[in-house]
Amino acid sequence: MIEVRDLVKRYGSTVAVDGLSFQVRPGQVTGFLGPNGAGKSTTMRVVLGLDAPTSGEALIGGRRYAATRRPLHQVGALLDASAVHPGRSAYDHLLALARTNGIGPRRVAALVELVGLAGVARKRAGTFSLGMKQRLGIAAALLGDPAVLMLDEPVNGLDPEGVRWIRELMRSLAAEGRTVLLSSHLMSEMALTADHLVIIGRGRLIADGPLRDLVPDGGSLEDAYLRLTAGSVEHGAGR
Amino acid sequence: MIASLSAEWLKIRSVRSTYVVLAVVALAVVIGALFVWQGMAVFDGLPPERRENFRVIPMEEYMLPMVQLALGVLGVLAITSEYAHGTVRSSLVAVPARGTLLAAKAAAVAAVALAAGQAAVFATFLVTRALVGDRPIPDHGAPVAQQAPQLLLLGLSVAVFAMVGLAFGVATRSTAGAIVSVVALLFVIPAGITYLPAPWGTRLSAVMLPNLPDQIAGALGWRSEEVVVGPWARVPVLSPVWAAVALAAYIVVPLAAAAVLFRRRDA
Repeated sequence: MIEVRDLVKRYGSTVAVDGLSFQVRPGQVTGFLGPNGAGKSTTMRVVLGLDAPTSGEALIGGRRYAATRRPLHQVGALLDASAVHPGRSAYDHLLALARTNGIGPRRVAALVELVGLAGVARKRAGTFSLGMKQRLGIAAALLGDPAVLMLDEPVNGLDPEGVRWIRELMRSLAAEGRTVLLSSHLMSEMALTADHLVIIGRGRLIADGPLRDLVPDGGSLEDAYLRLTAGSVEHGAGR
Repeated sequence: MIASLSAEWLKIRSVRSTYVVLAVVALAVVIGALFVWQGMAVFDGLPPERRENFRVIPMEEYMLPMVQLALGVLGVLAITSEYAHGTVRSSLVAVPARGTLLAAKAAAVAAVALAAGQAAVFATFLVTRALVGDRPIPDHGAPVAQQAPQLLLLGLSVAVFAMVGLAFGVATRSTAGAIVSVVALLFVIPAGITYLPAPWGTRLSAVMLPNLPDQIAGALGWRSEEVVVGPWARVPVLSPVWAAVALAAYIVVPLAAAAVLFRRRDA
């Protein structure tokens, strides 16, 4: 369970998150949607203790993330798949993260296998395509077999097989009773993956409800999303 | 802490830049040896009456800035590479206790820098002594045991530079900015400060990092009395205790300031 309460985050005079409250419940995939600059990534960073909130709070399982010991066993996160040292091998990248939380090399090898990087794990991550980096990021998020997963744009750059694999992985993780928060701009993909949606714009909550309630029968998520966020697009193209 | 330390150790040894730094250290030893080898060839060709004025700067001191700079860069890269590639976030997600993460990084970098520094200083000392042999070259006659404290302090100073580099890396979050800061502290400020009007030039020189190991060891023998400005100026002798306090401050103050910034800032 992730709880965000009255969260405000300002950077100088810019308000990135403006009084945001929502909950992400276990047992379902929650889609986290909003236009560019809506505050999705900022919210995720605050939840993970990377950025300090200006006011309000963000809790995982009732506690602040920064107060968690060996947090990879509770929370797995993929914030930016391209965040790897280009000179370090995929295996060493994962093993370094694993060691911080007392996770052994066996688990690392199993995950490398699971995400389909077994053949290239000893290669430098700088040689990877974006899709391969996404797989590496997913492996890192799953290292500690966590009950809560937060993934920012995990399907970007993946091939169709990879997109389907992520979708089925997210659905099966949620079916096991885990909390899954997934952000994406790909509406058709989100419609297939998410059970519940949290939509934000300009740092505020726009909608929070089950997918089937937000999308009218016969309509598309894309139409529903564009209608809901029409007043909150900050960086839209002229039309 | 042990878990974080083993992770930081793995991070250091799993990137090529570490091996480039260690290659530069090895190169410094080779260059020092070549200087002395060539110097001995010159010495052997001199008529006896000119041999008594022949001096050679001890290479473990002369080549030291190259080693200090190399390991200073290692300290910088240990953190700025994480900022440059964005991995600092995944590191902090894995280890939210920022003090622990920084301490683990500092310990891993210090271990590599101390080992590299001592290896470079002692290797240069032993190789150049072997090249000098029994020739009566000033500053190359003291027994190893007598000179060991000074050599150990020179090796230690390499680790201090690595810590300063790490702290500058945390503060600037920029590889270029941090390396420029290390170079300023290592070369530019110590050399420039000697040109200040007396007595400030010499007083401030005494607390410059490159001048501290010799003052702690009480060994300034090879430096010429006449040279009072520039990078090889002879500096006044702080008492060993105060010089040691100053050296400790070069470790504690930058790292403490870095820890405050690292804990306070958004990642």
